[in-house]
Amino acid sequence: MNIQILISRTLRIGVSVACVIAAIGGAIYLWKHGAETMPDYTGFSYDEAHPQEYTTLSGIWAGIRAMNAQSWIQMGVIALLLTPILRVALSLVDFIKEHDWIYAAITAIVLSIIIGNSVGV
Amino acid sequence: MTVLVFTLILLLSAYAAGLLGSLTGLGGGVVVIPVLTLGFGVDFHYAIGAALVASIATSSGSGSAYVKEGITNIRLGMFLEIATTIGAVVGAIVAVWLNNSAIAIIYGCVLILTAAMQQRRKSDHDGVKGSEMARRLKLFGTWPQKDGSMKHYELRHVGGGFSVMLIAGVLSGILGIGSGVLKVIAMDGIMKVPFKVSTTTSNFMMGVTACASAVVYIQRGNIVPGIACPVLIGVLFGALTGARLLKKLDVRLLRQIFCVAILLVAINMIYQGVTGKF
Repeated sequence: MNIQILISRTLRIGVSVACVIAAIGGAIYLWKHGAETMPDYTGFSYDEAHPQEYTTLSGIWAGIRAMNAQSWIQMGVIALLLTPILRVALSLVDFIKEHDWIYAAITAIVLSIIIGNSVGV
Repeated sequence: MTVLVFTLILLLSAYAAGLLGSLTGLGGGVVVIPVLTLGFGVDFHYAIGAALVASIATSSGSGSAYVKEGITNIRLGMFLEIATTIGAVVGAIVAVWLNNSAIAIIYGCVLILTAAMQQRRKSDHDGVKGSEMARRLKLFGTWPQKDGSMKHYELRHVGGGFSVMLIAGVLSGILGIGSGVLKVIAMDGIMKVPFKVSTTTSNFMMGVTACASAVVYIQRGNIVPGIACPVLIGVLFGALTGARLLKKLDVRLLRQIFCVAILLVAINMIYQGVTGKF
């Protein structure tokens, strides 16, 4: 398959999946908390601890199984993040297949910067 | 305000943000930040998280169509993403040290630059003689014309374009927006890439650039579910509607109105930033 069509399809499927997961989370969130007063978003501090249900991968996983609304939404955000990353990974495979070594190297650099920063190297 | 009311208003605003962002080519994040900070009094550090989500949603949502049509220069995007991702990592580190006022002032300045660049003539840069560096990197490409044929173009000043992309990346890491204006300056202004190719490639790069800093923002708690959910869904549908409308509508007047609007927002942001109102 042509790489342009493959990338195009990856992007479209990725955002659709992200949207569906976030919508499930949003529905649970509104059902459980809809009538409550909205949380206070007027101040943010880097020093205070933020809930694990939506800041760490293990916390999100645990929350998903417990049908925690916040964790489901955050999983949708992660699916959204994975879409462009997957796009880069697919390009890497394509450049290698075409023996385009300069671009295989360039793509590998971009991928390692993203992954490196994400896992905190 | 209850959670339900907040979510619904934000969902509608995000839809409008995605629609406007897609029609004007600026991305959803640019509109989301003032809606949250000026509209709801949300802290900038939450607004940045929301803008990152909006940027990735716009980029992937509308990028899908442009890539298929063959306008996007994938190699050029890939190469320049080295600069923007490094910049974004640096920006995410810097952002921790900035207070709301500083972020507001930086954001205001980017908006003013954006409004100014909207006035530029869109050039196809006919007959540009490409540089040796660009040839080695295989950055030349073709783009579809109205009659369906493909037109070849060359480009130059790779180093200069790369440097501006580093700054674009830093701003994206700090503000969460795609900083499309700097990307277009780098490609259209410096490297002499045809305007349409510049804007679509800039949009294409936005998602990957935002990803480089987004995971860090999730871990720090900047991306909160209560805001992220309506923003993600609203911006995505707004961007899809926008991409469809763009084919039928003449958006010149809309762009002019939008230009005045972002100037007003920019002045407001800088004023409130300088006087320390945030």
